[in-house]
Amino acid sequence: MTWWCSASKEPWSWAFRAYPGIWIFTALLLVGYLLAFRRSPSAAGSEAAASDKRKRWAFLGGWALLWLSTDWPLGTLGSGYLATAHMTQYVLYTMAAAPLLMVGIPEWMARRALSKLRAYRTVTLVAKPLVAGIVFNVILVVTHAPITVDNLRTNQFGSFALDVAWLLSGLVLWLPVCGPLDELKPSLPARGVYLFLAAGLVPMVPGGFLTFSATPLYRVYELAPRVNGFEALDDQQTAGAIMKIGNLPLLWPVLAGIFIRWANQDRATPPPAKPRPASTSGT
Amino acid sequence: MSETTTLPPSPPDSSPGPGPGPRIGLIAALCAIGAVVFLGIAAVYAVRGNDDTATGADDNDGWHGTEVSPGLPRPDFTLTDTSGRPFDFAAQTKGRLTLLFFGYTHCPDVCPAHMSVLRGALEVPGTPKPLVVFVTTDPARDTGPALRKWLDQYDKDFIGLTGTPEQIAAAERAAKVAGSVRLPEDQSSGNSEYDVGHAAQIVAYTPDDLAHVVYPFGTRAADWAADLPRLLDEEWPQESAS
Repeated sequence: MTWWCSASKEPWSWAFRAYPGIWIFTALLLVGYLLAFRRSPSAAGSEAAASDKRKRWAFLGGWALLWLSTDWPLGTLGSGYLATAHMTQYVLYTMAAAPLLMVGIPEWMARRALSKLRAYRTVTLVAKPLVAGIVFNVILVVTHAPITVDNLRTNQFGSFALDVAWLLSGLVLWLPVCGPLDELKPSLPARGVYLFLAAGLVPMVPGGFLTFSATPLYRVYELAPRVNGFEALDDQQTAGAIMKIGNLPLLWPVLAGIFIRWANQDRATPPPAKPRPASTSGT
Repeated sequence: MSETTTLPPSPPDSSPGPGPGPRIGLIAALCAIGAVVFLGIAAVYAVRGNDDTATGADDNDGWHGTEVSPGLPRPDFTLTDTSGRPFDFAAQTKGRLTLLFFGYTHCPDVCPAHMSVLRGALEVPGTPKPLVVFVTTDPARDTGPALRKWLDQYDKDFIGLTGTPEQIAAAERAAKVAGSVRLPEDQSSGNSEYDVGHAAQIVAYTPDDLAHVVYPFGTRAADWAADLPRLLDEEWPQESAS
């Protein structure tokens, strides 16, 4: 039985493949979240309860994206056939599932979990934009190095580790931007600059390597049975393009939103009071 | 929009006593060091990645295939090319760098991968273009036009050869590769498709009309791009061909 998607030498077909490990992992994530929600302190009908409801939907959206990008067919294609699918998975994990999951965690749940895990200081450290940016990009580079992909994608545990690393790196990336704890978020302009540099600029470099390499870099995708005649180098170049620009559909709207909020915040701030001219006595 | 919370925003693990602070710092530092070391190793391997092959190039005089000594003589056989004309392999490829491969167009894995990799290698600037000769091991399905259509996906200059099963078996023997065998049909799948077991290596004949290196499945485009110029220019020691 195959528990998690990993590379196989079988020719690609659209025949369904079951991965019970993925179902168990995603089910545990959802059940854990819903169980935690049963202890919500928000009173029914309150604004907090309405906020919790929105967060639940956000989490469900993130969870669904996580599942769809991990399971058959995208997970199967990404683990052993196409670098393009591998990169699509990565972008979905880090740029879609992770921010939605992060938005879906209410503040009370985060505080409760961090208190139980005694992890507040660690999260505080990781939420610093410099640390989060480095962690995200180190994981990006390491998990896309040919040696990592070629070795980890060929076995289920390695493939699982890769997927979990991507999810964690995505959560770390978005923690300072849309994390549940306001005291860990930098100012709005700092958030915008952080996101632009960490998620927009740095990934261009490894993406460029993939796009402009003369030969395929990943053994696992180069020697895989071809899917619809999609050649290995074309596949890799497409993957590189996805790495470079696949984040833009989310990144730029979020950046625009941040700067609009910043502008609104700035406008709402009352201007400093002008010094009143000294009164003069009339004639 | 304000978000109501019922818990104070104080750090929950800021309680006095032997807290997790130093331990977490240590763990974070170890993780960071581990990540840097791993990244370093990954970078080294990434740089060396194009030299890394299934055959262990470092143990093989830098070749990305398996060295054969003494070299295998260019085989002498005549088959039919995709336009229906006879093709005398020894005569028509004499003195030229030639890659010979036995496979079939319905092959689900090895043949398309080999052809695709070769195509990729030949697109690398500066790579010399060898004659690529593909001999079908499935003459029943691989007619001349079918073979031509399949090869054209990769390169219109690739040469496709077919013949009777006996002629193909004789060619395999002459090239000293394992004979192909038709595998039983998969009755459970309910279709009449069958596979053919065949040699998975590409034999590279150099201008001295000997094959000094054979390339197994797993040879990559970067490996070919590195080896093809060498195969063309290498000064091979004079040896008596067996």
